[in-house]
Amino acid sequence: MKDTGIISGNGDEQATLVVVFLRGGADGLTLVPPVGNSDYYKVRPTLAVAEKDILKLGDANCGLNPAFSGLLNIYKEGGLTVAPGVGSSDKTRSHFYAQDLMEHGGQLAGGWLGRFLRYREGRPPSALSAVALGKAMPEVLRGAPAATVMESLETFSLGSGSGPTESLQTELGALYGAKENILGPVARDTLQALGRVERLRREDLPPENGAEYRDDSFSNGLRQTARLIKARVGLEAVSIDLNGWDSHIAQSSLISPLMTLLSEGLAAFHRDLGELMNAVTVVVMTEFGRRVAENSSFGTDHGRGGSMFVMGGSERGNVLGEMPVIETGILVGPGDVPVVTDYRDLLSPILIRHGAGRAMDKIFPEN
Amino acid sequence: MKPKISDDLSRRIFLRGAMGVSLFATSGCEKIEDFLGMEPQEGPVVPPSGEGVDLVSHVLNRLTFGPDPSEYARVKGLGVDDESAVAFFLEEQLSPNEIEDKRTQRAVRRLEAIHAPLGELYEYKEDHLLEQLTRATLIRATRSRRQLFEVMVHFWSDHFNIDISKKECRWLKVADDREVVRKHAMGNFSALLKASALSPAMLWYLDGRENRKSGESEKPNENYARELLELHTLGVGGGYTQKDVMEVARCLSGWTVRGKDRFFKGKVEFHADAHDDGAKVVLGNEIASGGGRKDLDDILEIVGMHPSTARFLGRKLCIRFISDDPSEASIKKVAGTFLSSNGNIKETLRAVFATQEFLQGPRAQKLKRPFEFIVSALRGVRARVSSEMDVVDYLIRMGHAPFQYPTPDGYPDIASPWTGTLLWRWHFAIALARNEVSKNIKVEEEVLIEKAGGVDGLAASLLGRNPSVEEKAAIERSGEPLALLMASPGFQWK
Repeated sequence: MKDTGIISGNGDEQATLVVVFLRGGADGLTLVPPVGNSDYYKVRPTLAVAEKDILKLGDANCGLNPAFSGLLNIYKEGGLTVAPGVGSSDKTRSHFYAQDLMEHGGQLAGGWLGRFLRYREGRPPSALSAVALGKAMPEVLRGAPAATVMESLETFSLGSGSGPTESLQTELGALYGAKENILGPVARDTLQALGRVERLRREDLPPENGAEYRDDSFSNGLRQTARLIKARVGLEAVSIDLNGWDSHIAQSSLISPLMTLLSEGLAAFHRDLGELMNAVTVVVMTEFGRRVAENSSFGTDHGRGGSMFVMGGSERGNVLGEMPVIETGILVGPGDVPVVTDYRDLLSPILIRHGAGRAMDKIFPEN
Repeated sequence: MKPKISDDLSRRIFLRGAMGVSLFATSGCEKIEDFLGMEPQEGPVVPPSGEGVDLVSHVLNRLTFGPDPSEYARVKGLGVDDESAVAFFLEEQLSPNEIEDKRTQRAVRRLEAIHAPLGELYEYKEDHLLEQLTRATLIRATRSRRQLFEVMVHFWSDHFNIDISKKECRWLKVADDREVVRKHAMGNFSALLKASALSPAMLWYLDGRENRKSGESEKPNENYARELLELHTLGVGGGYTQKDVMEVARCLSGWTVRGKDRFFKGKVEFHADAHDDGAKVVLGNEIASGGGRKDLDDILEIVGMHPSTARFLGRKLCIRFISDDPSEASIKKVAGTFLSSNGNIKETLRAVFATQEFLQGPRAQKLKRPFEFIVSALRGVRARVSSEMDVVDYLIRMGHAPFQYPTPDGYPDIASPWTGTLLWRWHFAIALARNEVSKNIKVEEEVLIEKAGGVDGLAASLLGRNPSVEEKAAIERSGEPLALLMASPGFQWK
């Protein structure tokens, strides 16, 4: 981390890892189109991004979709890594298996983010170490020692909002404070975290640095995440989904709005957190990329290598590896982008930065 | 502390059981059972009244998933003093098959999928199997009178951990639970170990089915061999080397299980042509070439009764029942009994409960793990539960859902990994007391208080001792005795 001096206090030493999962298999060649590759235009007659529209990333052989204009500056400032040709060993091209495989971190049971929280070095996880924004616990967090699922801060409180719990909290504070054992400090942290969330809800402070979030559930999730990070509740891991990338037909009209949601959400989050981004990493991943050649319904079918992003203060701002050249010779299976980077190799250095230490062989034992 | 049980006492227990049976035999069952709800046994509630946790409460805390309100009085009444009462209770619990438990059995029998023969398990949806197995586990832990047996099932489920979400364990864990863990939970360790080694689910979970050596180029898969030594028997530092792991893998090569795309799915078989039939040396023991399928028995005999295994298991049992950091003396004693009894689990348990450290060591200082916390709450308040799945959500939030631990070492059995669950314990305590877990789970706080003879009695019944001055004051000020009690520090420990 470049700078953790700006944060101190309850849970403040915690860096936060935000995992954004694009469910459905986002088309890597649309998110991060190849630059100067004539084959791309042959196999994607209607879906290719015009060369002039691609946001260039220095000399890289790939660029950003114009929908990601909000992310270009972050890239230029060194806060975004673009990774083409990333994927898993999955060859089933089934959403279910590929998502499970990627969230579990291999042919394993339980999620890699859950294992990270269980086995990483440092003090045990606290009340709000892990949050899944949504309705259900995602696989990636399965096995975490403690994880909270919430749709928004507004739905989160002790007793699930069924009635006031202030006097219970006061008395719990007194009882746990009076005993000298391992739960005392945890109870204090938990009550403080609850208090901070409570205050957050009451105050509902606007985003900072002129950030403006869109009003959709993805942006709202990021906004809640930013609020929790600012409130220093000890947040270590967040999972947010952005669904709907399964573009078998009419791909452009389906995923263009999604790319805008993704880009504007991430840009607002980055701006809102400002310097705090130094201790935050956002990983954007998807279960697989899509077939290189478009199909007859102006869509694409399930493939292999996809494109992922990493955003955060510790990123160098570059393109990881190279976009695999789109030539028939190197395509895999029925004509898919090969996986040149295993997603675990993308994640490993990030997890180590976030304190995984010697636990890496438990988090990705097959890697 | 092996007590002599007089014929009179045995008869008393037998009669009690017989009475329970006759009640149901005459009652046209299902309706009455629903009406009775969840209570394991109905009896007078006489809460503990000591300043500290007495021996009876201590034993109930450690040998069961927490006492039902009337259990303290029942056990107390088994003997003329606490020592004999506890000795009698222990003997009762060490013979689970003689404890009448028809209602639990009937409740579980309705979950038909978990009783399906091996091959038929594949006819069920995976989610359905997990749900039924989870429900059965919760029903048994909460309702069964064979509490120590269920606690041991829990213990072995961790020791021989299988995550149900891995590959065909989705179907086969049900058989493993039934025919490995439950069948041998209070039997003999060697038999348990062999059942586990040949469990279809274990062959999938630790890749034993891939362990084959048909030709020179093929290397045996070491996954199971390593965990067998590291987690199931000798333990890390138990004196084996990487070479031993490889030799054990060679011995076990050729054992496999048929996958779901084949006939006789789930069937375990030995393929002699995939077995490395050369000579091996394991932990200094020579295993002659040509042993074939018998290599497996040889290996399990060597590792199952190894002194390191005795020590490793002794330590785990002491951690389970005595403290997170048990003394060397206790471990030695238990390990010694394990060896001298040839892996007799009941005898080994007797040794645990006979240690000075168990009898006189610190009480209420083992943190209940989330599953134990939730079940002890349901038992302690006699919750009427008509849908067990409604508490599973809480278990998932606290990272302790049955059969869902990601790595082969099983859920940890010490306090520190679980401290992050406090917020969710509070959530659950408040929701349960307020009848807000779901409409399928009902608690009657007023009735509980009345039966316990007042709020202090309720506190004593849940805490296993009289509430302290501070606790009494806090209970009164909170205005919600039950919620506060179950969320309080005193109820997190056993």
